[in-house]
Amino acid sequence: MTLSSTDTPTSQTANSAIVFDQVTKLYSGQAAPALDSLDIEVKSGELVCLVGPSGGGKTTALQLVNRIVDLSSGDIRIGDRSIMDIPAIELRRTIGYAIQQSGLFPHYTVAENIATVPNILKWDKARIKKRTSELLELVGLTPVDTWLGRYPSQLSGGQQQRIGIARALAADPPVMLMDEPFGALDPITRMAVQDEFLEIHRAVGKTTLFVTHDIDEAIKMADRIAILKPGGKLAQYGTPAEVLTHPADDFVAEFLGAERGLKRLALTTVGEVLAAKTDSESGLQQDSNSPQVESDLTLREALSAVSAAGAHGALVMDGGSHLGEVTLHDLVNPPAGAVGARSVEGGGS
Amino acid sequence: MSGIAPAGDPVIPDYGQASECVINNGAFCGDWFVDQWSTVFWPPLVDHIYMVVIAVVIGFIIAFVAAVVAYRKKWLAGPIGIVATFLYTLPPLALFQLLVPFTGLTLLTVEIALVCFTLVIIFQAVLSGLAAVPDDVKKSAIGMGLDQRQLMLKVELPLALPSIISGLRIATVLTVSIATIAAFVVDSGLGSPILKAVSSPFNTQFIAAGALAVLLAFVFDGLLVIVGKALTPWTRARVS
Repeated sequence: MTLSSTDTPTSQTANSAIVFDQVTKLYSGQAAPALDSLDIEVKSGELVCLVGPSGGGKTTALQLVNRIVDLSSGDIRIGDRSIMDIPAIELRRTIGYAIQQSGLFPHYTVAENIATVPNILKWDKARIKKRTSELLELVGLTPVDTWLGRYPSQLSGGQQQRIGIARALAADPPVMLMDEPFGALDPITRMAVQDEFLEIHRAVGKTTLFVTHDIDEAIKMADRIAILKPGGKLAQYGTPAEVLTHPADDFVAEFLGAERGLKRLALTTVGEVLAAKTDSESGLQQDSNSPQVESDLTLREALSAVSAAGAHGALVMDGGSHLGEVTLHDLVNPPAGAVGARSVEGGGS
Repeated sequence: MSGIAPAGDPVIPDYGQASECVINNGAFCGDWFVDQWSTVFWPPLVDHIYMVVIAVVIGFIIAFVAAVVAYRKKWLAGPIGIVATFLYTLPPLALFQLLVPFTGLTLLTVEIALVCFTLVIIFQAVLSGLAAVPDDVKKSAIGMGLDQRQLMLKVELPLALPSIISGLRIATVLTVSIATIAAFVVDSGLGSPILKAVSSPFNTQFIAAGALAVLLAFVFDGLLVIVGKALTPWTRARVS
């Protein structure tokens, strides 16, 4: 993937934070609100996942932002400006929107799909063409010319989803809304697209609100996670490490599942543990069966490899070179300095 | 019409000078067909084409507008559908009979009747085409900031095209066929030589005129297929 020719943050306002201020949504004819006094801030450039069971109001929360659903009370501000002060159609053109099943227009080619919003905004042809090529490179569909003229029916699910993301980014919106964008993909494609999207997110820095029902996806993607419970109440808002380490209540603990401890291990990579180890002594008995693990594997993955091999530790590799060893103890009780390092940098595959 | 022709009035045209085939009233006399093409067949064929095109174009405009309105205002879909279906179920001859007191033995009577028969087919085709546009496509279009007009023109109508075209094909073929009955009202269209030949009776004339009507239906249908393919290239995109 080429990140060299990516977005020039032209339309990027200095502040593109999304603020939910006591946001409530009561659908007409329903007794209980779908979303109840939601009060969160998504900082500029942050990726926040909204998770929760069905009926938690996460999609409602998302669709309130681009006014597909109307607020009942409270306010939402993007960069200090209330969304109610902007005509809905105009507002939506400044917000990237990607959904499950991609929502690509079947009668438009890849190029035409990506150019949807730029065309509405009446960009000139040369600019649209340049932007389309940039975006195809950004989402890893190269050489660009082989993709431009294809129709969505000629693409795989993962490719469609990549085009969906490129289309959402087309007019360089400061804010992205994503509604279970990877929900319909098979697990392997899903992992790959998640990794790619994380890389794109780090490169382009859009403030992103991301709805998913998959807590593992949220742990992997999010800077912070907002967990909603039935009735549309916020149960907890915090970093993946905070949420996994200190669930706010029984609901959160239950939602995170019995493997909460293991999920936490997915926040840290083997390389980070190795870097944080104070003693250079490995303490690893030279088992002949110690597996080799790449330094960018998570502790959870490394633990699985060690367990599968019936060993007491693993050899940490980076490509061909041997970096050091980690023991079973290191993997299960990572040094304090290593935990949470992922949310700053790294963690992709 | 009187059943018996007056004596001395030849039943078969050109009796006495015509070919063996015509004298024996054979199934199809090619020489006579070629001879009479420019007087007996070509003018009615042209009239027939006009009749069909006018009816389908007007029927399309009315049904299309009605379908778009019904799509927007869902509660109207039922009533409009019932009216259109009612018009479709009327026997064509009865409808002519009903209209003649008002509009006379004119082309207008014929066109009104023909339009009535196209309405329900085109209305349903447009409406079901619009209704079949996938929700995720509409959802993403709205989310990207397309307004209602853009949603209709750029997304919903193009995606409804395959259904609209197949409705037009059925309506057109049907109109070619029903338009032959127009001969009961006006001396126009391919129905006219058929009606005359049936009462004569002269085989070549009604077989040829009937065959021309069938051929015309095929030609219209073929043209619409070609237009449809040109307008919907994405439906033929293959996975490469």
